[in-house]
Amino acid sequence: MSGERKGSILQFATFQSSVDEGFWHGLCSLKLNKLKTDESPISITGFYTLCSNPHVSSHLNLLAESLPTEPSDESPTAATHGNRNKCSVPGTLYNTNTYEGYQSLDKKSLLKAEGKKIWDDIRSGKVEEDSSVLLRFLIISFADLKRFHFDYSVAFPALALDPPATLVDLKPASEWFTAEEAESVSVCCNEWRKSSLTADVPFFLVCISSNSQATVRPLKDFKACQHEDFKILFAFYDPYHGPNNPGWPLRNYLAFIYARWNITKVPFLCYRENRGFADMGSSLVGEAIIEPSQAWQDETHVPQVIGWEVNSKKKVSRHIDLSTSMDPTRMVISAADLNLKLMRWRQLPSLNLNMLSSTKCLLLGAGTLGCQVARMLMAWGVRKITLVDNGKVAMSNPLRQSLYTFDDSVKGDKKAIAAAESLRKIFPAVEAEGIVMAIPMPGHPVPSKDERGVLDDCTRLCELIESHDAVFLLTDTRESRWLPTLLCANANKLTVTAALGFDSFMVMRHGSGPLSATDESKTEPVGSLSADVEKMSLSHNDSKPRLGCYFCNDVVAPVDSTTNRTLDQQCTVTRPGLAPIASALAVELFVGILHHPLRTSAEAEFGNSLDSGSGEQPLGILPHQIRGALSQFSQMILVGHSSNSCTACCPTVVAEYRKRGLDFVLQAINHPTYLEDLTGLTELMKSANTFELDWDDATDNDDDFVEI
Amino acid sequence: MVSNNATCDGSLLSTDFQIAAKAFAEKWKKFNSDFPEWLWIDCSNRLGFAAHGVSDGYLSVQNVFFKVQSSLKEEHGECSSNDYEEPFDNATLVQSAGDDGHRYDFHIVYSFSYNVPVLYFRAHSCDGQLLNQDEIEKNLPTESAKVLTESKWTFITQQEHPYLNRPWYTLHPCGTSEWMKLLLANENSTAENRVEQYLISWFSVVGQVFGLKLPLDMVKSDG
Repeated sequence: MSGERKGSILQFATFQSSVDEGFWHGLCSLKLNKLKTDESPISITGFYTLCSNPHVSSHLNLLAESLPTEPSDESPTAATHGNRNKCSVPGTLYNTNTYEGYQSLDKKSLLKAEGKKIWDDIRSGKVEEDSSVLLRFLIISFADLKRFHFDYSVAFPALALDPPATLVDLKPASEWFTAEEAESVSVCCNEWRKSSLTADVPFFLVCISSNSQATVRPLKDFKACQHEDFKILFAFYDPYHGPNNPGWPLRNYLAFIYARWNITKVPFLCYRENRGFADMGSSLVGEAIIEPSQAWQDETHVPQVIGWEVNSKKKVSRHIDLSTSMDPTRMVISAADLNLKLMRWRQLPSLNLNMLSSTKCLLLGAGTLGCQVARMLMAWGVRKITLVDNGKVAMSNPLRQSLYTFDDSVKGDKKAIAAAESLRKIFPAVEAEGIVMAIPMPGHPVPSKDERGVLDDCTRLCELIESHDAVFLLTDTRESRWLPTLLCANANKLTVTAALGFDSFMVMRHGSGPLSATDESKTEPVGSLSADVEKMSLSHNDSKPRLGCYFCNDVVAPVDSTTNRTLDQQCTVTRPGLAPIASALAVELFVGILHHPLRTSAEAEFGNSLDSGSGEQPLGILPHQIRGALSQFSQMILVGHSSNSCTACCPTVVAEYRKRGLDFVLQAINHPTYLEDLTGLTELMKSANTFELDWDDATDNDDDFVEI
Repeated sequence: MVSNNATCDGSLLSTDFQIAAKAFAEKWKKFNSDFPEWLWIDCSNRLGFAAHGVSDGYLSVQNVFFKVQSSLKEEHGECSSNDYEEPFDNATLVQSAGDDGHRYDFHIVYSFSYNVPVLYFRAHSCDGQLLNQDEIEKNLPTESAKVLTESKWTFITQQEHPYLNRPWYTLHPCGTSEWMKLLLANENSTAENRVEQYLISWFSVVGQVFGLKLPLDMVKSDG
């Protein structure tokens, strides 16, 4: 560019800033904790080093330690003096409270004010004591603390000579010096850079005696050197790497040399290094010619100041987005994903995290089971959770129901709402919704004035089940599970039930629905099975039976189980460890179903009997029911096939529901024996009475066809 | 100083980490003079460890410059239209957008959970804008991109830097001891030698993700 021809205008390569993310981290906490709305300028420290790579310029770095630790601290630089790779440079930061404030800052006068400080330091002689003030810089910024976005502009104020200086000659120092001089200059510069007293002093004098011996002197020795017979070079740490121009620091250096010592022919040395040592090949020597200016003699005159840093698009204002490394919400998401990804990379390559995060789960009941299931689902990476509950957080709840706190119970918040809120507190990226709603139950007859409301609830529940991918039945009574079971069977949803006794639990998945979702005419269970299952059972005359639902093994229709019961019978009084165990199993079962190619139609599997089948699934076997007894610390895997007399999922009931809709539901609610009559359970019980069978009591209403 | 069982199972004792780090940094300086030096950042006082005579710290190399093809260069920054315009000045060099490289900072940090070294790194463009994972992966040599998708042990994740408490990218250490065991199995050298060789062997694998190949002389154990 310039430099080759004699007398051309001396052009300086601009200084470049590099703002480390640590600076913004520091500014955020400074703003939040100390500055608050205070907009007054802050003294900061920039760090620069000279060019040490022949291909790359070095930058002025703003780091976390650039900021003052205390707002009152006047000299944040003290601790870092003496580091050869971090020459401290004083600067001023104007951080505004608003973006508008940032934009409306008067850049021209701010720059001028900083330039005046440099000018004053030149005039007063302060530069000779601390030459780094020649490099004084300015940064203005707006920190958006919510989005972690930063707008900023940096200026390196330069006092412009008018007319500009011209260049006589510029060449590599190795060509300018004799070999002997070059060697001597290298040696003394290396020493200057080695001493902790001078290593970070960026402006200095190189004096070469007539016998080619060089010495390095600080600026304040200039007068003394003049009297001796020295060739004096004005040297500085040059951050720029190019061979045809000196770097920016020379600008104010020339202004200083001219204004202070009235020198118009300035021989200078752009000192650069390579691998930590003086590099005479990349260092440059030249001579600048300054035209005497009358105005500069005037004490009150301040030269024109320029120096706003522009980016490659010639823009002064810069924008930086650090949300990925500063926004805690984004960080917690990536941390949560990491745990799951680790599982995927190591133990479970086939783990489908996208499927888990996109599966919408509906949790009916937000009590001990509901809270625990929701937490487990989040741990597995499920991100869409809806909780349905009608109750308020009671004083006794927080101890067992892991999403509530004492405060929730004092306020008497609705459980569904409080639980969803709590989930979001635990993990802000969860899409949790709480729905306050009662689930209509058979055996709890509805007065005609409430009919409308109950029917609305039915419709709403139906819509909720339709709009979710998986349903968890986690309520504390048997009868409240009936309508959801029916609706899930009708919609063929993935359904998991967990139920607790005092010291026993049952976790099961419901089989697929008895009727295909579209074909309403078929009532035969065989015809409703999915094509996959049919293919699998070609060897049999009959297709394999569907797996049962929660009600398939009952011989009574659900009735009101709470009226006329003592308190300990009404509440689910269980051993505290039971709900977490059952909830965890329910969620593991759910994850197993999601990863099985046949989903809800998957056959019941057992640990030992189906070796060939179980080996294929990375998550292990997919059982139908798990029953456990804490009193024995035992757990059993069972299977129960669907019953054609089931009050919730048999083809007759589902077909009747499809035909009559809410009328049917209302009849079932108001007349419990209706279901038994419809499904033939009444008949069955009559015949059963001829045997001496001991049906289990009402806590679980269990007993199964154990097939093992 | 060096424990007998060090490195037999592919892991490195925390007490040997600094010895290995020193050996690595010295060799690096000797054979990779084009690169900046690795410096030991002492953090002994961080948790009051100094009182127990345990040295704590990590190896750091800053501002490793990677030239970026201009097609990959992205201009960050939305600029408002009423932006200030700097007056024309004929003494300012008009630079072509020459400096378009990315700068990488690498830290080798000891993982007390996995008992292996972990590479932490971050990348930024010259103005300080951090590169996100996609941009970093775009920068990597094509072979590395392939390795990252196929290999179980070299995946990039964002983790909190244990000393800086800011999120940095890292190559997850969960597989490190396994492949280090294989790498060290062939060496019939003394325990001491193995500790000194440990980080060099380790980096010969890890560095390749960034296209940083170690000179053969450096890998030779007697160098």
